[in-house]
Order: sequence, then C-alpha cells, then structure tokens
Amino acid sequence: MANLSQLLDFDVAALSQKLRAREISPVELTQAYLDRIEAVDERLVAYITVTADLARETARKAEAEITAGRWRGPFHGVPIGLKDLCYTKGILTTGGSKILGEFVPKYDATVWTRLSEAGAVLLGKLNLHEFAYGATTNNPHWGTCHNPYDLNRIPGGSSGGSAAAIVARTAAATIGTDTGGSIRIPAACCGCVGLKQTWSRVSRYGVMPLSDSLDHAGPITRSVRDAALMLNIIAGYDPNDATSSREPVPDYTSRLGGDLKGMRAGVIRELNTGVSEPVSRAFNAALKQLGALGAAVEEVSIPSFAEGSLVTMVVLMAEALEFHEQWMRERPDDYGADVRALIETSMTITAVNYVRAQRERNLILAEALGALANHAVLLAPTLATVAPRIDDSGYDMIANMVRFTGPFNATGQPVLSIPTGLSNEGLPLSMQIIGKPFDEATVLRAADAYERARGPLPTPKL
Amino acid sequence: MAKLTSQTVKAMAQELYGYELTDEAAAAVANAAGAMVTHSRRLGSLDLSGVQPPFGYPTLLAEAERIRKRG
Repeated sequence: MANLSQLLDFDVAALSQKLRAREISPVELTQAYLDRIEAVDERLVAYITVTADLARETARKAEAEITAGRWRGPFHGVPIGLKDLCYTKGILTTGGSKILGEFVPKYDATVWTRLSEAGAVLLGKLNLHEFAYGATTNNPHWGTCHNPYDLNRIPGGSSGGSAAAIVARTAAATIGTDTGGSIRIPAACCGCVGLKQTWSRVSRYGVMPLSDSLDHAGPITRSVRDAALMLNIIAGYDPNDATSSREPVPDYTSRLGGDLKGMRAGVIRELNTGVSEPVSRAFNAALKQLGALGAAVEEVSIPSFAEGSLVTMVVLMAEALEFHEQWMRERPDDYGADVRALIETSMTITAVNYVRAQRERNLILAEALGALANHAVLLAPTLATVAPRIDDSGYDMIANMVRFTGPFNATGQPVLSIPTGLSNEGLPLSMQIIGKPFDEATVLRAADAYERARGPLPTPKL
Repeated sequence: MAKLTSQTVKAMAQELYGYELTDEAAAAVANAAGAMVTHSRRLGSLDLSGVQPPFGYPTLLAEAERIRKRG
C-alpha cells in the first residue's frame, strides 16, 4: 500500500490499476490532491477555481461504484483539472479574463462530459493566459502562474496552469487547448507530456474559441500512456461540433510498449535552427536514443515550415479579432495590456491576407505530407530555449516561442511534446514528435518508446 | 450610415496595398465602404455564438494531398 504522498507521483495508468483493485480509495486520493493544492497553489497559482466539495462528492460516488464492481474505466475516481476555457455547467468559467469574471455556463464542454461520464473527479479550473491569447500565463486578472521547476520563470502558455498542475502534483491529468502551441509550449516549459491531436479529432464544443480553424483541446499528462488513455475517452465525433471528425477512433494504447525497429523518423531542418545549446544537446541525445531503439533518423527539409508560424498567426489573429470585436468596442479597458495590443494588431490584417493564409495552409500541409510519405514521424525541438523568466516575456519572446509549434496548427497534424531532460540549471527541455493526420497511434508509439528509454525526470522541489 | 472620408480611404489603400486612388475614386469608395461598415455592424449584432465557420479539415487534407501528388 502506497502512502498518500507517493500516490501523487503515480500516473493515471498506475493509479487506475490501484483504484480498480481497491488498493487505494478515490476519496483518499482526491483529498490528497486537495491537500496538495492547499499546500502549494498559493505559490504556483495554477488554479482559478478549486471545486473541493464537488470533487469529494464525485470521489465518494466513484468509491461506491468501484466497490460495487461497476468500474467505468481508467479515469474512474482519478482527480483531474480543466483549463478554464472549458465550459462546466454551474461552475465559474472565466477564460482567464475579467470580461467573463462571473460567467457560469449552462452546459458542459464535450471533453468534460466525456471525462465525467468516464468517472473522472474534477478538482477545479486551471489558470491560463487571458482568453488563451498568449504564451506566458502572466494573467493580470487571476494571478501570474509560476513554473514548478523555478518559480521565477513562466510555465508557458496559454495552458500554463494545466501543465504546472501536472508537474506540481496538483492534478493527475489535465485538459489544455492549443491554437499556436498552447498545449505543447507549457508542457515543454514545465516538463510533462502535451498532445495536440489532429484538428477535428476531439470536439471543441463548449471550449471558448480563440481561432476556430486552429483550435484544439487535448491532454496534458504525466506520461505518454496517460495521454493515450485520455485521448481514448475524448476523441471521436460529436454531433454538437459539426467540425469534429467521423474517422474511427482506435485504442491509442494498443501499440504502446514496443521498440522502434523499422521506423523512419525525419528531423525537420527548418525547425532545428537558432536553438540554445541546452536544447540542441538534449535534442541530439534524444535522436541518438531513438536510433538506439531501432529508428532510422535522418534530416528532412520542409521549406515552407520556416514561415509556417506566420501563416498560423495571420489566421489566428484574424479569427480572434472576429471573436473579440464587440468586447473590444464596449470593454477595451477590461483586457490585459498584452492581449489588448494583440487584438488591436489584428485589425491590420486584411481579408486578402486572411484568405491567402488559409490557402497557404494547403501548401504547407502538402509539403509535410511529402516528407511523411517516407517517414512515420517527424521530429523537432518544441522550444528554442528553456522557460523564460517571468520578467522577460515581451512580444519578441512570445513570437520566438511559437516558431516551432505554430506550423502544426496550420497543418492540423498530430504532435506530441515530450521532455528530453533537464538543463544544467534544472529546467525542462523537450522535443515534438509529429505524425500524419489521424495517425496519433504512431506518434504515441514513438513517444512511449522514447519515454521508457529516457527514464523518469527529477521532480521539482516546491 | 457610417462615414469614411476620402482621405482615410486613400491612406488605407496606400498603406495596406500600395495602391494609389484618385480623389474621385476615393470619394466613391468612401461612400461604398461606409455602407460596408454599416453592414458589418449588422453582422456584428447577429448571435453567432457556437456557430462554426464553414471550414473543414477533410477539405484542407484533400487539397494538400492533391497538391502533393501534383508535385
């Protein structure tokens, strides 16, 4: 029997086995997480709302069901958090903003409906960059979120609270959203797994939009297996989201556990430039590790990716302006200075540029598919540097942060960010594993093999 | 109807597109653009919350595949 603090170190895959076998109680597990939130979140500011009473009530129900032999699956009784961009019926949902500071939705986002039906316990709603429009989670309305490995550094964004909570052991798994890198950037800054699956693979119903044609909601987790387990639950067609895909949903865990013999992996030349020495060193070590696992690793060129993040930014800014236009006219002073400036900048994007950027997405994806015709996955660092300091997060830094992540929102491909180790300063480093559209299974297979070979990362001292 | 001046229209055409408008054309465009602005305000008053734009990933994917095969 594990003690309560050990429980917090288990990933969902391990927890679910112990919960099912009744070696641990959902009630005790949930209380352990609530106690941990109480102990560290004042310094971390990963949560906007903690739903303690609801969590205890759901945990009691889960315990009764499991005891009666009605186990619902791997998330039954597992405490999780949701980015506060996801609608939760009857629960404050702010979008990280002042504008929606008292907004209580009348329905649930589909991602939460599915996780709730799977028996997950909601610990609360997680901090984010205001309206998901930024990469720092320096939130002027709900508090600056901090990186668990160094409280003076950003956790990345916009899903900063979702990644910080995973690493700080204040949630077992979380949901983030990604429009230009907002799942992968915080996962990289904080040292956990972030999966942006294929666009349309997961319903966005009830997820506050930033940019309709680029938005994704997906898992941020402690392990690759957990990301697969969560994707098993949230993936699939949703009649409430007409853009959600009807492609069949496989069991994403079915190909985990093996090696990479016979796999060809391409390192994207255009997304491996201008990186810092620690990122480069860890990335090259990861490539060697993939080779040792049996993969053939070679360089590939996708020229359009050099400007891919700009295409994403044009589309993102135009679509974000459409969503925010009325509030900008009526309540401009209620926005944080950086988000307001981004929305105002969006006003300079013309309809012509927007349409051309949308069409250019075809060209970028065509080049990517060309590279993937001979390679099962593509590889690139997630970020060019370690997590920046909180007081060093200006516009140039943010533009640099989306340089390697943004192209894949334009192409809609599945991408998983996985830690490649810690720098000499003790800060996380990461790489992206990119797949063919709807081939998340291969991305997860490669990431899982690498993760097992890499071994666990040292946990941060909070 | 919203009012735009010829000077504003000329400046926008120059700044955004590097395009020179005559005074006469700018006056006509300003008049038409005023009507467009009024129309866009009407669009802004529609309740489009939860309504997705007509964008589909299958279209993006199919077109990219066609371009790739074309070479």
